[in-house]
Formats: sequence, structure tokens, C-alpha cells
Amino acid sequence: MTDRRRINGPPSGTRPAVFASSLNSASDIATGRPQRQRQPNELRKIFLKTGLIPSASGSAYLEYEPSASLAAARSSPKSLIPPSSALKLACTVHGPKPLPRSATFSPNLVLTTHIKYAPFAARKRKGHIRDASERDLGVHLETALRGVIVAERWPKSGLDITITILEAEDDRWWGDAPDSHDAPWGMMNVLAGCITAASAAISDARIDCLDLIAGGVAAIVADESEDGEAKPKLMLDTDPAEHKAILSACVVAYMPSRDEITEIWLKGDSSKALLGPDDKRSGHEALLDGAVDAARGAHSVLAEAVRESAERFAGLAPGGGATQ
Amino acid sequence: MAPAAATAAQPTPPSLSLPPSQFARLQPHAYLLAHLSPPASSNQPSIRANGRAPSQFRVTSANTGSLTHTNGSAVVRLGDTTAVCGVRAEILHTEDIASWSVSRPPPASSSTPANKRRKLTDPTAKPSEKSDGNNKEDADESHIQDFNLLVPNLSLSTGCAPGFIPGAPPSALAQSLSHQILSLLHSTRLVRAEDLRIWYQPPNLGPEELERHNESEQMDVDAPQGDAGAEKNREIKAFWVLYIDVMIVSLAGNPFDAAWAAVLAALRDTRLPRAWWDVDNGMVVCSDAVSEARKLSLQGLPVSSSFGVFEADAASGWRAEVIPDAEEERALDDSSRKGNQRRWILADPDGYEEGLSQERVCVVVDKEQGGKGKTVVVKLEKNGGWAVDAKELKALVDISAQRWEDIKQILEQC
Repeated sequence: MTDRRRINGPPSGTRPAVFASSLNSASDIATGRPQRQRQPNELRKIFLKTGLIPSASGSAYLEYEPSASLAAARSSPKSLIPPSSALKLACTVHGPKPLPRSATFSPNLVLTTHIKYAPFAARKRKGHIRDASERDLGVHLETALRGVIVAERWPKSGLDITITILEAEDDRWWGDAPDSHDAPWGMMNVLAGCITAASAAISDARIDCLDLIAGGVAAIVADESEDGEAKPKLMLDTDPAEHKAILSACVVAYMPSRDEITEIWLKGDSSKALLGPDDKRSGHEALLDGAVDAARGAHSVLAEAVRESAERFAGLAPGGGATQ
Repeated sequence: MAPAAATAAQPTPPSLSLPPSQFARLQPHAYLLAHLSPPASSNQPSIRANGRAPSQFRVTSANTGSLTHTNGSAVVRLGDTTAVCGVRAEILHTEDIASWSVSRPPPASSSTPANKRRKLTDPTAKPSEKSDGNNKEDADESHIQDFNLLVPNLSLSTGCAPGFIPGAPPSALAQSLSHQILSLLHSTRLVRAEDLRIWYQPPNLGPEELERHNESEQMDVDAPQGDAGAEKNREIKAFWVLYIDVMIVSLAGNPFDAAWAAVLAALRDTRLPRAWWDVDNGMVVCSDAVSEARKLSLQGLPVSSSFGVFEADAASGWRAEVIPDAEEERALDDSSRKGNQRRWILADPDGYEEGLSQERVCVVVDKEQGGKGKTVVVKLEKNGGWAVDAKELKALVDISAQRWEDIKQILEQC
């Protein structure tokens, strides 16, 4: 069934390019895996800016700092295969606006979230129509945000949050075949980015919130050390391309001032984590604490972006312009 | 903005005065008109509500190559309108094309009657190099069009403006913009089909291997031997298909200019890896070395400029008892123009002005020999009214030619 509303490619379909180097034996390319250059508890830098889309009530653009390998590949390109990728997304908020007449009465703000990957966002070309994983991300985001927005203040209104992902995180390193530890780990980083960006955009739209909510990711990874032994360790803000095996990962949406979590998404087996000798926490507790720490880190960036947005608003507001 | 706002607020008595932003919303037409034709007493220049002169475009910036998973990408900002374009190349094997064996020109080595005729006509065509070139170009274009090698799609459902519901099928505007980009790509022949072909040159085979080859490929054994024959044995094994996806991230008027500039910048940035037919695997394999990848060799640099016509009293022509024809209209126009101007052609209309102008003009121009030659109008589209006549169109083409220089500079810097 072809899509009549879009321009379709050749009816027989096309195949993504196959690179000769990926056909060679695995030993040749095993050296190419990007290495994590950060400390286990060090986060990537986040670029977050609000108000770039003036036609929306509120907007935010979020970008992660490219990993060291990607930055190196950009400055002196050798291979056409990117070693990893860095999240880039744009978030817009429209509303609060009146619900259509046909909608049933709602005493609260009706929140709609919508996440869509651009067709060129991932290593594999994405379709134009939202697939199940994108809808799933949307539901997770909605859960995370519903706990923050003071919904009673806008009865009979709707709020649309739309996120366009221009570049997504990889689920694994491109040279790896899918294995038993495989899961869409990249989605978790994407969700954390979406939560942070959406929070900035909602504040930019001046919707009342309990607090700024930030997303954070932590994972238990089993990278082989020099002696060939895999020691599962806890790491924050993991880039899946940099790790051979991620055993489990966790995203939280966290409000620091209330110390409240509105969304948890934990995947994988967290029982194998090797924590410190005097650490009595279980694996998933450690994972959650790690994710909360990551979210605290993102929160500081978020607070700065929202402050900029508020200053801009104060400059625009009547009377506020006179002080400048 | 401040002096302009003062003129807008002046005529209203103090008790009823509105801030300019509210006046702009309540009376958009009067608001823009007040800016464009300020009262003679105020000594203010005629200027648009956004502070631009009528033929002034918004500040444009472009940035290429920032998206990792694309062969070429660009972000173009045209004022507050932002378009992100990513080009992804995928491979279409000729064996997957249903009509390939029927439609392809028979290889020169075969002795089908059609080919014989072709061979006969060839010598006659040779002396006139120009017609030969034309034939070749025709073949070029037909490959791109017949096999849909360029697949542009534009998406507005990114939350770029309140009117577009995300998740809904593409709106009529998005469909029409996608189609305009496609037809402009085809009509300008911006991308050469030769860049998209992946050739296979069979090795110079010994007789026994040739036989084996013959079984599989139905080649004629009587193929001319030698170097010339080998050259003609070259066959197309696959095509690159370019998926050109444009996301309008922010929409504040004039999406076509922004989208087309983004497509142009992304195509200029596009690198295709070196690809060859791998006989052992029976598939096309690419090299990942950046040094071997090549850029597309685009033909020309068509630049699009859009205009909107703002009329002081759009319905005057319709209210007249006898609808004036074009000549009378112009005479009327000239006489009334002494007092004040009645219509303005606004370059690069923003969202506010787009809502107030019925008549739109889109001019796509190119310059020959990289800017030294004469200006060529590639596309001219005008609809929605009769205000723009031949004389004004000529002026618009001149403005577009100036715009071409600006865009060329912007694209070369990024």
C-alpha cells in the first residue's frame, strides 16, 4: 500500500548502502569501537536553548555534545561510517488552547505528546508515519510531564507537545551484531533528552509547573577490561555505541526540589552490578540513584536555559523593556 | 519598531488606544497599510510592519553537514523560518526494477534490430555534437524521473506552527510543497543522472569465461572483441536513490524559499561513497573511505525568491460595476498613484504578510557560468490576482537575480 500523500521512492524499495569494511571479518573492525573518554559519573555537555521557534507558545532545542570519537571523526574525516551520534531534538509547545467543541468536558489540562524521528535521524532510515516505538516514547513522556504540570489551572484546555528528533542516539555500536543483551538502549537516552527539552519548552510557554523536571540515564555496563574479564559497572549518561554490553539501563524524570520521580523506565537485568564493598544497595537501587544523579546534572543546565527564557520574556513584557 | 508603532497608535483617541501588538491582531490589514503608507504629515518612510523595505529579504543563514546519519545535510534559517534538510542515499539495484530489462537501451554489443537502427543513425548524429548532447541529456532525465531516483518529502507536522496537527497525514500545503520541490528538481536537472549510476565493467574475459557469462546474462557471443567492446560491455548495475527529507522546524512564512535553499545546500554537501558491483556477493558494495567519496556535480544553482502582493483595497476591482480590464486598471492605477500607492510587492513575506496577500509570485532564477553569464528564469509562478503585470515581473526577476548573488555567497560560505 503506497502512501499517496507523499512522494514515494522506487516501488521495489531500495537498500541501504553496504560498506565493504563491514563485510570483512569482525577482527578488522573491532578496533574501531569508540571508547568512553569520560569518567563513569561524568555527563556529556548539554546545549539547551529556548525560544528558537517563535510561532510556538514555547520551544526548546537540545543537543548533546558529540562524543570524543565523533568529534574526532568530524574534524578529520576518514570513514563515512560515523562512529557514534549525538542527540539533537527540537521541542515545541502549543497552547494552552481551547479544546475543540466536540471534545468531552475536562476539568484539567489535556496533555498531548508527540515524538517523531526525522527520516534521517537514525542509522536506519525511519518511516514517515510514527511507529510503535515512537508512540511508546510519547506515552513515557506524557507520564513524566503529567506529574509536573498544574493541570487544574486550565480546565477545558489542551496542550500539544511535539518533539522532532533530528538525530537520535545509536542503540548499539554499528559494528556489533544484535546479541542477547540487545535492546533499544538509544531510546532511553532519547527519552531523557525529550523530558529535559519538554520541561524547558513548557517553562518557555509559561505553563505553571511544580518544578523543572529533568531526565537522566544510568546504565550497568559490562565492558571487558584488559584481563578479558567483564565487570558490570554503573555508569551515568551512557552512549550505547561506546559499550559492548549494556546489561540494564534506567531513565528517570526527576524533580529535584520535591525529590520526586514522575517516571521510571528500567530495562534489563540489574542484579549483576558490582558495587563497592561497603555498598549495601541492590542493583536497581544503585541504578535509580545513578539516574537521579544524572537528572540533577541535567537540571542545572535546564535551570540556566529557563532563566534565559525568563529574562527574554521580561525584556519583551510591557514595562520590562524600559529597564534595559 | 517603536516609531512605526507610534504611527499606528496615533489616529486612535487615547481612551481607545491599543498597544500595537493588539492592533496588529485585530486589524491586520489596516496595521500593515498604516506602515506602508504613513500619513504624509508624519514624514516617515514607507516600511513594512516587520521593519523591512518592500524588496528586502530576511536575514538568511545556512549551515551544512551537522547531521551525522546523512550523506548531506543543511539547516537554513530565513528569518524565523527554519528548514532542516537531510539527504540519504540508498541503492536501487537494476534487477529490482521491474521494467529495467524492457526499458533500458540495449547494450551496444548486442545485435537487436533496434540497436542496429541506432547504430545506423549514430553516424548521422555524430557531426552535430549538440544534438548528441541533447539526446544524452534526455536519457539522463528519463532515468531520474522513470525510476524515481530523487525522493523529496517535506514535513510540516513538526509543531512548526499551531495550525498543523502533528501525526496527521501531510496537509495540502506540505504535499504541494513536496511536489513543487520534486518538479523543480526534475525541471532544473540539478542532479545529473550520471552521478547516480553505479556501473559495472566486466573484466576482459577469456573465451570460456565469456561463455559462462553469456549463459547468465544472455549476451551475444558475437560481441565485438577488444578494448572498444569491453568499454561497451559496461552496464548499469544499480542507481543511487536520494531521499531528500525536509523538516520545517519553524514556520513563519515563505516555506518554499527556505525549503528549496535547504535542499540546495544539502545537495551541495552530499557525498556519495564509491560503489561497485561485487560479483562474489551479487550486490553493490561501497567503500567507506572519505577520500574516495565524491560530491555531486550539480548543474547550476537555481535560487527561488517568493513575493506577496499587498493591496490597499483588494476588492476595488470587484466592486466596480464594470470590471476594468488590464489597460484601464493600469491607467486608473497610474492616476491614483500620484496621491498614494495602492499596492506593494513584498519580497519574502513573513507569516503575517502571507495572510494578507492574495497574489503570490515565485521566481526561480539561475545564472549561467557561475554568475558571469546572463540570468535564466527557471520557474515563474504567479497566482491569485492580476496586480503583477509583465513590467513588474521583469522587476521581480531583477530582484531575484540580486537575491541569487546573496544566496550564492551564503551557500559558498557554509
